[in-house]
This record gives sequence, structure tokens and C-alpha cells, in this order.
Amino acid sequence: MPATSLNAVGLSLNDCIKCNICTSYCPVSQVTDSFPGPKYAAPQSERFRDFGHPFYADDAGPISRTLAAGRMPDASVDFCSGCRVCNEVCPTGVRIAEINARARARIAAARGLSLRNRLLGRNELLARVGSIAPGLANFLLHNPLSRRLADALFGVAEKAPLPRWHNETLNRWLSRTRAQRLRSQQKVVYFHGCATQYYEPFVGIAAILVLEHLGYEVIVPPQNCCGLPMLSNGEFSAAEGYHRRNVARLIEFVNAGYPIIGTSTSCTLTLKEEAPELLDLENDADVRALKLATWDIFEWLRDRLDQGRLPSDLRPLHQSDRPFILPYHAPCQLRAHRIGKPALDLLARIPGLDLRESHARCCGIAGTYGYKTEKYQIAMDVGAELFDYVAAQSAASDREAAGSLSFTACDSETCRWQLEHGTGIPSRHPIELLAAACGLYDLQARRPADAN
Amino acid sequence: MKRMQTEILVIGGGATGTGVAWDAALRGFRTVLVEKRDLTHGTTGRYHGLLHSGARYVLKDAASAVECISENRILRRTHTHCIEDTSGFFVVAPEDEDDYPDRFAAACRRLDVPCTEIPPGAALRREPLLNPRISRVFELPDAAADSFLATHATAQGARQAGATLLPYHELTRLHLSGGDGNRAVSAATVLDTVSGRELRIDADLVINAAGAWSGWVAALAGVEVKMILGKGVMLATNARLTNTVINRCKMPGDGDILVPIHTVSVIGTTDVQVADPENLSIEQWEVDLMLTEGDKLVPGLSRSRILRAWAGVRPLYQETQPAGEPAPAAGDPRSNGLPAQDSPQYSRDATRALALLNHRQRDGLRGLITITGGKWTTFRLMAESAVDAACGQLGVSRPCRTAHTPVPGVEQGHYWLGHRLNEVEEENLQSELICECELVTRSMLEGAAQRNPTVTLDDLRRDVRLGMGPCQGGFCTYRAVGILHSLRAGKALPAAAEWNVAHMQSPAHHHRDDTGPAPADDSRRRSAAVDPRASVSQPNLLLRDFLQERWKGVAPILWGQQLRQERLDELIYLSILNADHLPVDDEESPLSSFFRSDSSPSTSNL
Amino acid sequence: MAGVLDLLVIGAGLTGLFAAYTAARAGLRVRVVARGAGSTHWHAGTIDLLGYLPNGQDAVANWAQALPELPPAHPYRLLGVDAIAQALDQFQRLVAAAGLPYVRAGGGMAFTASSPPEDRNLQENDPAEQFDDPRLGQNGALISPVGAARPVYLAPAAQQAGNLEDDRPLLIAGLDGMPDFYPALIAENLQRQGRLARSASLPLDQLTERRDRSPLHLARLLDRPAAQALLTEMVVNAAAPGERVGLPAVLGLNDHARLLEKIDRALAARDPDTAQTPDRRGACAAVFEIPTLPPSLPGLRLDTALRARLDRLGVRVEIGMEVCGFHATGRRIHWIETETGSRPLRHTARNYLLATGGILGGGIHGDRCGHVKETVFDLPLTAPQTRAQWLRPLFLDKRGHPVFRAGVSVDHRFLPLDRSGAPVYDNLWAAGAVLAHTDPIRERSREGIAISTGCAAANAVVRGQQL
Repeated sequence: MPATSLNAVGLSLNDCIKCNICTSYCPVSQVTDSFPGPKYAAPQSERFRDFGHPFYADDAGPISRTLAAGRMPDASVDFCSGCRVCNEVCPTGVRIAEINARARARIAAARGLSLRNRLLGRNELLARVGSIAPGLANFLLHNPLSRRLADALFGVAEKAPLPRWHNETLNRWLSRTRAQRLRSQQKVVYFHGCATQYYEPFVGIAAILVLEHLGYEVIVPPQNCCGLPMLSNGEFSAAEGYHRRNVARLIEFVNAGYPIIGTSTSCTLTLKEEAPELLDLENDADVRALKLATWDIFEWLRDRLDQGRLPSDLRPLHQSDRPFILPYHAPCQLRAHRIGKPALDLLARIPGLDLRESHARCCGIAGTYGYKTEKYQIAMDVGAELFDYVAAQSAASDREAAGSLSFTACDSETCRWQLEHGTGIPSRHPIELLAAACGLYDLQARRPADAN
Repeated sequence: MKRMQTEILVIGGGATGTGVAWDAALRGFRTVLVEKRDLTHGTTGRYHGLLHSGARYVLKDAASAVECISENRILRRTHTHCIEDTSGFFVVAPEDEDDYPDRFAAACRRLDVPCTEIPPGAALRREPLLNPRISRVFELPDAAADSFLATHATAQGARQAGATLLPYHELTRLHLSGGDGNRAVSAATVLDTVSGRELRIDADLVINAAGAWSGWVAALAGVEVKMILGKGVMLATNARLTNTVINRCKMPGDGDILVPIHTVSVIGTTDVQVADPENLSIEQWEVDLMLTEGDKLVPGLSRSRILRAWAGVRPLYQETQPAGEPAPAAGDPRSNGLPAQDSPQYSRDATRALALLNHRQRDGLRGLITITGGKWTTFRLMAESAVDAACGQLGVSRPCRTAHTPVPGVEQGHYWLGHRLNEVEEENLQSELICECELVTRSMLEGAAQRNPTVTLDDLRRDVRLGMGPCQGGFCTYRAVGILHSLRAGKALPAAAEWNVAHMQSPAHHHRDDTGPAPADDSRRRSAAVDPRASVSQPNLLLRDFLQERWKGVAPILWGQQLRQERLDELIYLSILNADHLPVDDEESPLSSFFRSDSSPSTSNL
Repeated sequence: MAGVLDLLVIGAGLTGLFAAYTAARAGLRVRVVARGAGSTHWHAGTIDLLGYLPNGQDAVANWAQALPELPPAHPYRLLGVDAIAQALDQFQRLVAAAGLPYVRAGGGMAFTASSPPEDRNLQENDPAEQFDDPRLGQNGALISPVGAARPVYLAPAAQQAGNLEDDRPLLIAGLDGMPDFYPALIAENLQRQGRLARSASLPLDQLTERRDRSPLHLARLLDRPAAQALLTEMVVNAAAPGERVGLPAVLGLNDHARLLEKIDRALAARDPDTAQTPDRRGACAAVFEIPTLPPSLPGLRLDTALRARLDRLGVRVEIGMEVCGFHATGRRIHWIETETGSRPLRHTARNYLLATGGILGGGIHGDRCGHVKETVFDLPLTAPQTRAQWLRPLFLDKRGHPVFRAGVSVDHRFLPLDRSGAPVYDNLWAAGAVLAHTDPIRERSREGIAISTGCAAANAVVRGQQL
């Protein structure tokens, strides 16, 4: 049973002064009545739930038994995408998104979890199975008939931007290139996350190349899914198992003083905060040690920069005289780290780069949210603000001949897929841009620069 | 002067008086009830909401304990929807004495109060915020009761049985007839506090159920009823800390009850003897004591957000004063400012059992019965005893029916914490919310205003919990004034769905319009519901009065986040609305003064 | 952080954003960090300078003339009329350049600046005017959402025609089902004050199929041309000739000026005789907005305008960052730290400006024991000492509650002072509602304090950098 203390997430509802700023900024309630807004769903509704009580169904007190019988009072909180814009703008520090996540877990405990949500929570399993035969898996998943079937049978939106398996996982690339990997006294640990392992190994390759370029040996220990998909779908006990396994695998490196660096903003956020906080594990010493050792890759690079330890040999990203226009979207998952926008600080050093920061609140996808049939259109409507921004930059670049716009940039994988889906323009992780600016990486082909 | 004639006139619209009217009407008496303000305005509306199992009194007041457990069983049938079946824990904290728990369990067995000892670990799993250092836990059938709803439901039961209920009618005079040896109360004059008109009510019998004001009512008939008025201070937290009623397993003392009621937990109470039930100050030491004691039940409670403090007065009666000095007079420094333990008049020692004073036997005065003492849990029994005595005086024999007559609305079953949210979600009423904190919809508010006498916003608060959440009226005061104003202007009246107080707190009910048959005398009430002479006609006073009413309860606990909340409320009412510079015809409504004198914050030095 | 900042502003309310703007325009490298979105979202969007004196009953007619009646330590007394007027002038240029013009209430103004954006930038940089305007300091009176008269100095063009100095009859028109606006109540209170006023309610079901009736939803809806046309038609049908129409301030988030112009032109076209002047400047316009409960659309528009100007100046505004520590030696602050999901994040700058607000903004906290604390640097405060002294028995007591006057005492450069009257740090400034000797909500001086002290503190930083 989780030790629910008076300092836990739930108690932050006491900080709400009902001011409505969160509701003003919520991108989801703006586009649909299905979600009545963060204030309503979190600090307000929480007072009508069984506040202070454990959220696992198997710890049934009389009220939890009521929940187990399906009497969780509300359901609209399921339409919260978990983007955390509300947390960001709240002037009094209410952990709104976390209160909602816990409420979803209680709903899942009370009403059961759909097969669809169970599957979406286990993307790692799906990804691993698919990676056995990537070509076949891509065909099975992406042909129009199976997409229509998945929509009708499972509620996975037909048009949602599902990823494609890469023909080589990151691990296989690592073993194939083991001889070329840098050995050094300075070591860092890389947490790749599922998407990099199976769908976008090139993002991990770009990160490893940059880190090695800076003189660091990159350790990639065995690791599993961070558990966030399960946390957002309300499967807390399963998520706890995943997180504890990651802690067990990483703790020796943490204790050795190595930073744990990730390129997936949602995975690093989960290691830092979501898992410890939502699962009430903050008093576990190992969980806490991992929390304090985890970095977003640009957060870590910026820290090197501040210490004057980054080379300044960055070159332009293309040969043309025209500026390279790059719309950059800081994803919600990154903003939730509360570390500012470190990628901007580093990319700004690339010559000839016309970096344009989007102030759009959210791309809409929010992890697995936009994959769900009933939420796909909401996600697209939420994303419209960002898509319109990119389109405007693109149109301006065509009209003024002021520069060329070939890519957008975003730190989070699902957001990049949604961005590409919504704009038709390829999207890159900022580390790919930095690797390219270091001459290590081919931005177009998404592979190391020296590879043929 | 208008005149009315009735068989039984009940003074007081709290739980007891309303219960008396219900009982008398069910026995076929023509019955009129007068209450000087709104129903439940007195002690009934200011208690912590505990439906006692009786266990609290098993060792010090067995008579009261027996009354409680018996009534607990009855009210669960007759007032089901007014009760949340929370269950209750009696927990042994490290500070508590060693032999009390065993004596407690034995006494429960002796008095037939169901008591089960459960392992502390099991109790902590059910209530994780509970003090982990508790050594023993007993589970008993305590529960939480909504005394506003229960009184309204009882009132509706009384009306359906033919009683006439007149809130905002203040007793000003009791008329005596007959000479020595044959004196009798024969009539009463009451003042309609809204219109200022007087009304004479001739009655065969007057039942004084005025609670803390009983002594004053008796004095109008020239008889002495000495009340011991024990002020109790309570605090409400922003959200529930437990879902079970928590009692300390020790001799009853200060701050040893934590009751989950609707969205909040209430910690109570202090016990300080006071002279005047109208003038209750809340002292800082009382607030601090509740928080210190509360921490022993739920560690960290004192750091949790407190929404509000209020005080109620226990109307306790003992035929002889307890040993010690006579009761302090009004203004005596001992009546406030001293910790209860040091007070020589410690009303906690007075019995909680009900007291029936038949003034014919006691004082040789016919036509008057006083029913007092007791607790909310025993209100029905008090009513039964009073009406039994009335039958005796009137020379008739009619059996009591209340124990087997459910009030309207019981078919809803026990209420549960999530019921409002659940209904708002099922009916998609989110955009209808007026008081967002307590999930009060526009139609609930309109229904309450139209079908229940509404003179102030405070009346609506008691009806539907308007303004009782974290922002304490910050957003809904303005909205409710606007809605009442439109209602009066005759615009936004919904279709004439018959409204039923039994469903007063149900958002879905009002939305769906699927109400049951109309209450017997509802037509009369409806015409009087929004009285144009009431302060409703002065929306600016309505606004100011409610802001002040909320202020008096937050001022004693204003620090931290609630202080910040209040500053936001100031911003709304000063910066945006400029409510302190509104054009008003009168500086005061007939009721403004109440919101000022009662429980003003301890700011005497300003 | 990459590169050294000249100024780090803590707080993203009107004070912080305007101070950042002032410093950035003077060429400083500036960044803003804040725990959450600024309190601009709660206010009516007007610039209230001084509506009531600290113990006064009647509205202040002219704040410039009323300054001597303020206590000597009041921030306005530290500044003087000219400094306040200059700050306001700069503010007006800024918002005009951002397409959200503000003028003196009753002063008259078109809904949008008509000149192209390039010219507006030039105007923004013009040298300051001389302040010999005979009406300098003269407050106007705008209609509150309960029908009282709000004493206001500057107002957005959208609110101008609601000025109560104007005696044209009023139609207060609400939107059906909107919980935050009660036209009949407003009209009745206007009548009580001798105005010709009536009310109407316009149906919303034609405008939207959504159930949401929140101000933000309605405003976004009314940014759409089709909804604008529908509302225009409804208003024209509801209004009698010669009436001006007050609507709740939800007439658009990004495009409210266009809707107001549409309605105004449609009314003028229908009643050519009563239309006052050919170009129908704001004060003579026939339609205006009345602000209502938070979230405030006029406030959001102001926040958006300020943030857009800061973006152009390269000032990053980082929201969601709560200061959790700082490092100082002697009288110098070296860095501050903000809380993150993991380790604290260090922010280094040459100067720091505290614009965290008062009790409402979170810059000041009062605890159960009666301790009042400044929440970032634990600066010495001027505050009542015990909780018994915090409050008065009446909520609406016109003198206000003493606890809300608690704040930081500063010198004329806006450096916070210690008990001996010396600056606590040489590179820490304070401005806005965190300052002592004022209760901005009670005085109706909140925006005036924010703009004038934010500007003055930023200018002091700029002067320090130039030395």
C-alpha cells in the first residue's frame, strides 16, 4: 500500500484559489466540452472523490469498495491529456495534472481498464514484438485495412500518427559499432526510451555521437519502458513494477556518480518526477538518487556550456546563404521539467540558423492520448495552434525568400510525429540538429555523417 | 393585527422544533411553527454533523448514550438521504489513558452499543492519514448527518401532514390568561421580521423548542428555565481528511472529534460557557486548540488548509446548577477568553440527555411545555416526548408515528461524497455551475430560492451549500445575487416543475424536472417565497450581507492560502465590482446586523 | 545560462513584464522567471491609478492632485507626479504599438490604432512628451459588472464608451446563460445612480453548439467572422436609436477590436442621425465592454500584448519556475535557484528585480503564527506583528485590512531596505504589490503602482548599469 501522506500530490489541491488561470490556458477544454477544464477536474472534483485514500483497488476500505463497484463519481477527467500546461501557468503551485493522473488510476481501478488502454500502456512490448520483423510489422500495422480494423475494434484512431519500426534497433547498432565507440574516463549513461530503441534509433545515435564528440564514453545499460504510458492510462501498479526495475538497473551507475541522460523528455520526466511522485516513492532512497541524477540531454549540455566546457566548432546546417529557418516547439513534457528551454540556448550557437520559437501550448498528441479514436480529433484541434504557427513560418519563408524551411524541431518523439502529421514537414530532435552542426550527422538521411 | 388559531404552536425552527411540528402534525394536531430567522439558523445549523452511536457517552452519561444508539437506528430509516453511512472509529492515541479503552468496550456491551475492535493496521489501511501511532481502534456505527437537509426534510414532512411553518417570524410576547392557580399561556404575538408586521397566534398549547433561546422564551411566560450554554468552536478543512468519523477513545474533551461531512472534515469542539447565544466570538486559542488536538488524530491537520471556523451553542439543561459558582453574567470575562478547562462552569459535565419541562407540574402554568437539552441525534425522541406531554395536557391520547414514518426523499438512499459530482457528470451540467466549489447549479439555486423562503443568500447557503467551499463565496456571491435579482424581475423562471426539498441537493433532479407530487401547502409557500419586501429587493444589501457573513467565519482562520484566497475575493469585490461603493437605499437590511454582531473576529484593538 | 543577463525579473505580472520591457528597451539583456501566469489575468484590464485615498470614502477625482494626501512612504510619494506620468506615457506607447491602445477614461479613442505597425514602432520610440495636459491625473468612471462606478485612469479603447461622464442612455446587453454577467442588475444599479439604463439578454444558442459559457470560450468563439456577424445583428436589433450598448468583456481574444468596430458601424449605419462624428472615436462610440469575473479577457489581452513586445525584444518569459533559493555574499546576490523536477536550476544575472506581488501574487505569505514573510529573499517587511492586528471586523471596511499593507520598504531607487534604512543588497530591486505602505486593491491603484514602480525600478537598474 502506498503511504499516503499529507504532503502528497493530493494535498496540493489545498493551494487552489479558484482563479481560473488554468482553465484559460487549457488547450483541451478550449476545443471540447468533453473535458470541463483543469480547475473543475482537479482541485474541484478531487474534493468529491475519496481524497486521502489509496488508489489501488486491492486495498479496499468501504469507500474503495464503493469505487470497485463502479461508483467513482466522474469520468470526464479521462479527457485530460496530461499535457501539464495547467501546472505551468498555475500561480499557486497546484499539481493539477498529477491529481488528474491519480483520478484516472482510481477510475481504472474502479471500472477496469480497456484492452486498448492496456495495450497502449504496454507500447514497449508491442515495439519489441514488432522489431523482430520490422518490415512485416510495419505492413501489418500501417496498411489501410488494419488501421480501419484497429479503429473499429480497439479504438485506435485510423489516422493517428503511429510510428514505424526501424530496420535496426539502437542496441543492434551499438553491438554492430562496438569497436568504434569511445572509451574514456569521463562516462555518462544514456537512457534511450522505447521510441529510440525501436522506432528512431538515429536519435540515440545522434546523441551518442555528440556525447562522444565531447569526450564522454556513453554507457547504455539494459533498461525497460519508463512506465509513463501506464501512468497516463491509470495502471499504477504495473508502472511501479517498471520503475522499480529501471531503478534496480541504473542505481549502480547513479551511485558511481554518472549522470543519466535521456533524449526523450517524457522518459526523463518520469524518472525525475512522475513515477516517484505519482507512486508515492519519494522516500525510497534509490528512487530519489535516480531522480537527482537524471538529465534531459540539453539540460546537461547547457550545464556544460555554463561551465565553459562545450566546443564552439558548430557549422551551418546547409550550404546556402539563405538562413535556415527552424520553427522550434518546446514540448509540454519538456516544459514540465521546469528547466527552461535549454535546446534554444545551444541551437542559438549554430551559425546561419534562424530559430523561431513557437509559443503554442501543446501539439495535442500528449503521449498516447491522440491515438485514441474518441480523442484523435481533439488532439488535432489542440495541435492546430502549433500547425498554424509552422504553416505561417513556412508561408512567410516562401513569400519573402528570406530563408528555407525544411524541418521543424521538437524534443519529444510523439510530438514530432504529430507535428509531421499536422504540417507535412519533417521534424527533428534538436540533438540531431546539434549533431549535424558538429558535422557528425546527416540531417536528411538521419544517419551518421560518415555512413554510406 | 392579523390573527391565527392553532392547537399547537411550536417556538423554534431547529431540528427539535421542526421535529415537534412534524410529530404533532402527524398525530393530527393543527400545528404552527415560528422561527425568528431561517430554519436551522441556530445550533442545528452550527454543529459538526455527527450522528452519534452513543459510544461517546457510554462512560459519563449512560442515559444519553442509550438515547443516541436507539435514535441512530431510527434516523437511518426515517432520514436515510440526510445521512452518510461513514462508520466511526474510536482511536487510542499515545496521550490517552490506559484503562479507558477497556472500560469503554465493556460499557458499550452493557448498553448495547455495537462495538468491534479492529487492528490498527486495518484502520490505517482504510484511513491512511490517521495517526500511525494509534494503539487500539474500535469501530462503531457513527455517521455523518446533513442537519440542514434533515431539518428541511422534516419540515416538508410536517407540511405534508398539514403543519404551517413560519420562518422569519420572531416571538415577541406570550399572552397569559387566568388568575392564580389557573394561569395558562393562550396566545403569542410574533413579528414578521421581513415585513415588520405583527401576527397574533392563539394556541391551545405552546411548545418551547427554542434551544439556546429556551430560557428567554420561558421568561416571556414568567417562568425560569436556566440553560447552560456551552459554546463549541469547530473548524472545517478544505477537503476531507478521512471518510470515517474519528473519535478519540477517552473521556470526551476538546477537539477530539473529526467528522467527514460533504466535502470537508470538521474538527471539534471547544466548550466554553457563554451567557448570550447571539454573541459568539471565536478566540485564537480556541482555533489553536482545535488544530493542536486535530494533529493527534491526523498528523499535519494543522498545516492543512482551514476554510472556516464557526461556533454553535449547546443548549444544556440541568434542574440544579452544577457545583460551583453561579453562571457568569453577560460580559463576564470568564465567559470568553479562558481555556475551557480553567472555567469553573465547564458545561461538558452537564448531561446531554434530553430535558422535558412540563410547566403545569413544574410551575403551575398550563399551556406551555419546554423541550431542551439533548443532541441533534436525539431530536426525534425529544419531539416525541414533548408531543406526548402535550397530549397529556390536552387530554388526548394519540400515539407517536415519527419512528415509522420516513420523511420525503428517503428513497434516494444514503448520500455519498461523490453524489453531486456524479450527477453533474451524468447530466453534463458543468456549464451550469454557479458555486463551482460545492457544485451548485443554477437550477438548484433557482429551485431553492423559489420553493423555500429566501430572504438572504445565507438561506440559500443552508439550502444548497452555496459559498461553503474554498473560495467562500468569492465567485458565487455575485452570481447568486444576479440570479436572485433576475428571478425577482420575473425573467428566468423555469417551467413550473414542482420542487421538492427532499431533492434540494440534487443537481440532476432539478435538471430533469421529474419531481414527485407537490407538498400539501406548497402553493402558499411559493407565493411568499420571494418576498418583494425582503432584502432580495435590495440586491446590493444581499451582496454585502453575504460577503460579511462569509467574512465572519474566515477571519478567525485567515492565514496561508485562505488569506490569499480572501485577497482574491477582495480583488473581485473591490477592484472589479466596486461593491463597497454601491448605491444603497438603506445602510442596513433587517438582517444586516446579525452578520456583524455574530462571531466577529478578535480585532477588538482596531 | 548562456551569456550573462543584466537583469533577471522575478514575477510575470504587470509589474514584472513592464519592468522587463523598460530595461530591455534601454538595451539590457533581460529574462523573466515566474511561478505561474501573471495576475494580469484577474484584473479588469483598466489602469487604475488611485481611486480612493487610504481612509477615504469618495472617489479621487484627480490622482495627480491627490498625491500629497498619501502617506509620505507611499510608493507614489517616492516617485512624484512626473515620474508616474512618464511611466504611463511609455505604457501607452507600448500598448498602442502592440495594437491595444489605452487612453484616459473618457478621452476618446478608436478601437485600434489606425497607423501601420512600422509607424507604431516609431511612435513607441518618440521622445517623451511634456506633461502640461490640464486634464493630467483626471480619473474617469467606468461601469462595474454590478453597476457601480469604477474610478479608472486609463482604459482600453474597448471600454471607453462606458464612461459615466457621458450621458447617453445605456443598454446593458448580456449573453444568455453566461454565469458571470447580469445585465438587469447592472441596469438597475445604474438607474439608482440617475442614469437612463435598461437591459437585454441576447441568445447564445445560435452562436455555439457547445455548452461551455466561460468567458474564454465565448471570446474565442467571437474571434470568428460568422459569430461576429451574428452578434452584430443581435445587438443592432436590441439597441434603440441613440443608445450605447454595454456588453460583457468577452468580445474576442485576438480580434475584439474588429467586432466592436463592426457593431459600432452597424449601429451608425442604422441611425445616421444620432451618430456623433464621422470617424466615431471611442468615447463617442455606441458600444463598449464591461469587465467581469476572472479570468479577465481585457487582462489576458494586455498580458498577450506585453508578452508579444517582450518576444520582439528577445526577452524570454519562463513560466512555471518557482524560486527555491539564492546565493549572496555581503550585499551582492550571485544567483537564484528555481525548483525543477530534479535538481535546482541556477539563474545568474547582474541584477535582480523582485516583482512577485503581495499576498495575492504570492510574494508575501502570512502564516498561522502571525509571521508575515517575503517569500523569495526573506526581506525585512513592514507588517503588523500579530494576527490579532491583521484584520478588521467588517469585510468592506473602507480603511482596508492592515495585513494587506504589509510589504517591503524601499528607498527612492527601489532598493529594499533593512531595519536601519540601508539597502539589503546592492543588486536587488523591488516593485509592484510587494511594496509596503500601500494597499493597491483597496486604493484602486494596482496597475498604477505596477507600471510606475516597475518602470522606476527598471530605470534605476539601467542607470546602475551605465555607471
